[in-house]
Amino acid sequence: MYYVARVDEEKCATYKCKQCTLFCPEANTLMFDEERNTAYVNEPRCKGCALCVYVCSDLLKRDCIEMVMVTAEE
Amino acid sequence: MGLRYVQPAPGFKEYLPKDYVDLIDFGPFGKEVDVQHLGDFKEILEEHPMCAGCWMAYFVRVFYASLPNPEDTIVLGTAGCARLALSQAAVPFIYGNYGDTNAVASGLTRALKIRFPDKTKDVVVVAGDGGLMDIGFSMTMHSWFRKEKFTTIMVDNEVYGNTGGQESGMSPKGVQLKMAPKGKKFEKIPATELAKQAGCVYVVKLSPTSVKRTAKVIRRAILAARHFGPTFIHAYTSCNIEYSIPTEEVLKDAREREKKDFGFEEYMTDEVREFFEEIEKKKEVKK
Ligand SMILES: Cc1ncc(C[n+]2csc(CCOP(=O)(O)OP(=O)(O)O)c2C)c(N)n1
Ligand code: SF4
Ligand SMILES: [Mg+2]
Repeated sequence: MYYVARVDEEKCATYKCKQCTLFCPEANTLMFDEERNTAYVNEPRCKGCALCVYVCSDLLKRDCIEMVMVTAEE
Repeated sequence: MGLRYVQPAPGFKEYLPKDYVDLIDFGPFGKEVDVQHLGDFKEILEEHPMCAGCWMAYFVRVFYASLPNPEDTIVLGTAGCARLALSQAAVPFIYGNYGDTNAVASGLTRALKIRFPDKTKDVVVVAGDGGLMDIGFSMTMHSWFRKEKFTTIMVDNEVYGNTGGQESGMSPKGVQLKMAPKGKKFEKIPATELAKQAGCVYVVKLSPTSVKRTAKVIRRAILAARHFGPTFIHAYTSCNIEYSIPTEEVLKDAREREKKDFGFEEYMTDEVREFFEEIEKKKEVKK
């Protein structure tokens, strides 16, 4: 089991702000899908730091990202 | 090195790993990418073992996305945390012995000028506070005195992170670290002042809280080093482990330090200023 960030894509698509993607410390991890207008997490690369949650919730008050526990099979 | 070496030979592409093919199709080689589009393109930095939420890892990510010419760049690092990520990118990386990065970079820059007189090759050192201001101090200073034309970037986490928390010349006065239990007795070394005195033509101190500004500074430092002389960036890249910063708060910490003692400072010689004004004018004409 490990901890990863997950984006509420419907909610995120209403903002299209692309701010979290600029602050993730990992490359090719928190990506933006231009077609669906939402950020999404490449989960196997996420290290679970929750910096993106700080950007989305604390700085921007948008609450589109939450940390979730996943298992390897998921 | 060079665009020709990055592109796969015809018929070979289908056999290459997906990450490499993505890099050719959606990566930054041969085009100018805007760092504000991070998350839209394939980055040259790959997975690496730096800690979760590490601000130095974040800086390395922005650094690679900011290179003006990644296909013609050589990065030099040394013992210390940053090389764990620096070595995992699609850019040639040289691991200097601890302390000698700037001596190696001096020789390399000169050799590249001789070997490729008609091409632009960028050499960039990215090393820690211990690597550049303690053990590598004399070689860093002498490369600046000799006006060697390459960029030095100090990723300052104010501690020897990789070896478990010894104080460095860049640790702030009074700070208690695992292996400085009585608190550090001396001030932080004034690295940017030394760089100016030693002859660097472009010197910046920053806390990387704005991607746009960080990228601009990295590009400027590399461009100025091509033509005029040594350039230096001193970046605050906290160690959340040794300074016990919760990972989700490293950006908050970087913003607080920016207000306190890492406010943005940019120095350049008149010659360099004119050069940037010229480039920026040309860009506006193109638009
Ligand atoms: C000549 C030499 N002396 C000592 C070491 C051990 N050593 C490895 S990393 C390191 C400290 C790194 O500190 P810094 O340069 O600040 O980088 P950080 O890990 O903090 O990013 C030391 C002392 C070494 N590798 N080589
Ligand atoms: S939790 Fe950290 S590593 Fe994972 S997507 Fe968010 S910022 Fe990136
Ligand atoms: Mg250090």
